[in-house]
Amino acid sequence: MMNTKKFLVSVGSVVTAMTLSAGTAFAGCATDGLPGSMDRPGGFPERALGMVVPYGPAGGSGQIAQAMAQAVTELTGVSINRDHKPGGSGTVGMTAYLATPANGYTVLEHIDDASSAHALDSGRPNPAEDLIPLVISQITFSQIYIRTNEDRYTDWNSFVEWVKAQDGKATIANVSKEGSMERINMKYLTDSTGMKIQQISFDKGAPRYGALAGGQVDALFEQPGDVRKFLDSGTFKPILTLLHSRPGVFADVPSLTDAGFDFEPLLRFRGFYVHKDAPADRVAWLQWAFQKAFCEKSYQDFNESKYMNLIESFRDSDGARELITATIAQYRDVYKQLGMEVK
Amino acid sequence: MDPFSNFITGTVTLFSDPLGILIFFGGVVGGMLFGAIPGVSMLTLAAILLPFTAHLSAEHGIMLFSVIYCTGVYGGAITAILFNIPGAPENAPTAFDGYPMTRKGQAGKAVGAAVMCSAIGGTVSAIIMMAATAPIANWAISAFGPPEIFALVFFGLAVAATVGAKTLWKGWLSILLGLIIAVVGMDPVGGIERYDFNMPYLLAGIHFIPTILGFFAVSEIFVQAERKATGVYEAPKLSVNFPTLSELIAHKFAVFRSIVIGFFCGILPGIGATLAAFMGYNEAVRWSKDPSEFGKGKLEGVISSETANNAATGAAMIPLLALGLPGGALTAMMVGVFQMHDMEPGPLVFLNSPDLVWVVFAAMFFANLSILFVGFLETKTIINLLRIPFQFLAPLILLLATVGAYAVRGLVIDVVVMFIAGVAGFFLRRSGYSVAGIVLGLILGKIGEQTFAQAMQMLHFEWTGFYDRPIAAFLILAALLTVAGSIYSAFFKKERQ
Repeated sequence: MMNTKKFLVSVGSVVTAMTLSAGTAFAGCATDGLPGSMDRPGGFPERALGMVVPYGPAGGSGQIAQAMAQAVTELTGVSINRDHKPGGSGTVGMTAYLATPANGYTVLEHIDDASSAHALDSGRPNPAEDLIPLVISQITFSQIYIRTNEDRYTDWNSFVEWVKAQDGKATIANVSKEGSMERINMKYLTDSTGMKIQQISFDKGAPRYGALAGGQVDALFEQPGDVRKFLDSGTFKPILTLLHSRPGVFADVPSLTDAGFDFEPLLRFRGFYVHKDAPADRVAWLQWAFQKAFCEKSYQDFNESKYMNLIESFRDSDGARELITATIAQYRDVYKQLGMEVK
Repeated sequence: MDPFSNFITGTVTLFSDPLGILIFFGGVVGGMLFGAIPGVSMLTLAAILLPFTAHLSAEHGIMLFSVIYCTGVYGGAITAILFNIPGAPENAPTAFDGYPMTRKGQAGKAVGAAVMCSAIGGTVSAIIMMAATAPIANWAISAFGPPEIFALVFFGLAVAATVGAKTLWKGWLSILLGLIIAVVGMDPVGGIERYDFNMPYLLAGIHFIPTILGFFAVSEIFVQAERKATGVYEAPKLSVNFPTLSELIAHKFAVFRSIVIGFFCGILPGIGATLAAFMGYNEAVRWSKDPSEFGKGKLEGVISSETANNAATGAAMIPLLALGLPGGALTAMMVGVFQMHDMEPGPLVFLNSPDLVWVVFAAMFFANLSILFVGFLETKTIINLLRIPFQFLAPLILLLATVGAYAVRGLVIDVVVMFIAGVAGFFLRRSGYSVAGIVLGLILGKIGEQTFAQAMQMLHFEWTGFYDRPIAAFLILAALLTVAGSIYSAFFKKERQ
């Protein structure tokens, strides 16, 4: 059996290498090399496309769905009607999507929750095998934030020292659902530092950010794009980046390597999918449209506003499959370590 | 510049721009219309308009959404009062007494009170918002964490048993049923799957809009149909008599109390107008000399609910503008409008875009005032729908409710849930149980469970931790005293009588 640590490092290395190589390979935009137009196979699509979004319109998924729909429409002239089906951490949307006809007229937006759900229960759809990824268009990392005016600790080292002194009474706000990306990354951090910290789970952003701003919790686990306004206004500051390198914008924030950690963090990613049984020529057109739309100015501006340009956010279908497969393997391994029942 | 000068500048900017005026009135009418149609709420309108706001200026885009917010919250009161169909969850408590008033031939009075009180609640809230946005926002997020919000919900539930049920025990059982429905689906903190019976759709829980439509609208159709079949049906008397000034003045304390409650609930991120309306109504019951009158057509019930839910609108803008924290779904969409214009709501907006902030403040102030005028005109016309004979009106209401239930998430199961709730509501009402209590339990239960779990995590699973936090301790003690008081009234006073 493969040594767990070596396995995780190798999986993480794949993801990181892909991220970094993708970042260096595309000096312009990732899909500049694709043709500017593509013949519609048999006239497809003859009507507007549908997009099932398993989350509400106001959150991160709702926003990326709106931005991608707009970019595809700008590129192809084809309208996309979004159908939000929130609930069950994306399960409701996924189930509703799988019940739609596999004719290419309906696509699905989903996030890495679909991968973690499959990792925990193989009865749930595997986004890399049961669906065809059209594009992954947002990949981001997490950070630990504190209030800028905090005086009990000011950086990562002093934070860890302070948390240890609280003997389990310190708190951090995140989305700590069972088996979530946040909980796994926090496990890595607490195991590596030996600190005990109480995770407070807030499923909505506003109460989560309000909890830190109002002093209800001591720190926040989040992705930079989601708290950008608090960073720009100087309300929050990051004290640790959960990557092994320092992205330029956060050059003064220690990375995992700087902090002495060798675990590979899990990333957050969002992408678009179509039925695996959809006609191949239609899938090819959709792949072109969604991948090319990634480089539309409106979409690039959107990603930049969300700090989604700090590491390479693009994966084509093959890249997406590799990322999803590696992520599922990493989740499964950690679930087993945690003693969770993996079906 | 002082707030008053800023307000004048914002007003002049708003009304000196023809496009701005057009957008303002479009938002007023659109919010009212979409608010009034069940299922197709102001959120639907906002979601449709969101992409188009990219083509508007930032001032126009944000102003449009804030106007829709004010008038949309009011719009759902009309159908709640006339047909027992709350346009949105925040109008559900309005139906508790509004619809019985319609049955008693006091529809005009109920709608008039809703118009007046929505305008008053929203306008006062807008004025407070203009006067002290930043300090209020900072106080709210510091003073109110999950333990305090849970205590507030517990306080709200404590009085709910007295709403609409024949006996105290049936009131508590009604709430308990609502709480049980609220735990279906993934738990909101740990993501543990519960009571889904291997149906993926149930993982999302029982949505409260189909439930409200079923318990209120569908069960009411069944009740009236039974009356029609047994020959005891009486059509509601048509009345356009608005409440008199003296009636409104007589309820000044209820209005004041609901403004405070609505404003207070509105400034808490993630809470918003729904809790405000329920809390406003509950407090009206708690402070009443005769709580048993509520649920039977008491004007104070409509006044308290509608004042509170509109008072939450201005308040919800405070954490959004001052801190970038949206209070609910519509204010979260407003964040999207800001972002489309390369802006982020938060402290920097006041520094970088004071013109935008004051145009929005002025627009919200005038949107609330416009509820008075447009609302009265609307009332004079829409109330005539009651002239439609029951045999035509009932299928229309069922159709509207079905569309409304399906439109929430585009799921057939929501329609099924609505009809199950309708049938259950029909029998529960006959047996003296309270559908209002069930809905209260469902809505407050979802918020309460989440904040209770978060509070326990924060307090390291020590119950006594609530008593280390003065606001939480006060609210929990007040709730326990309320429960004790209602038990005392139900038993010992009865025995003496």
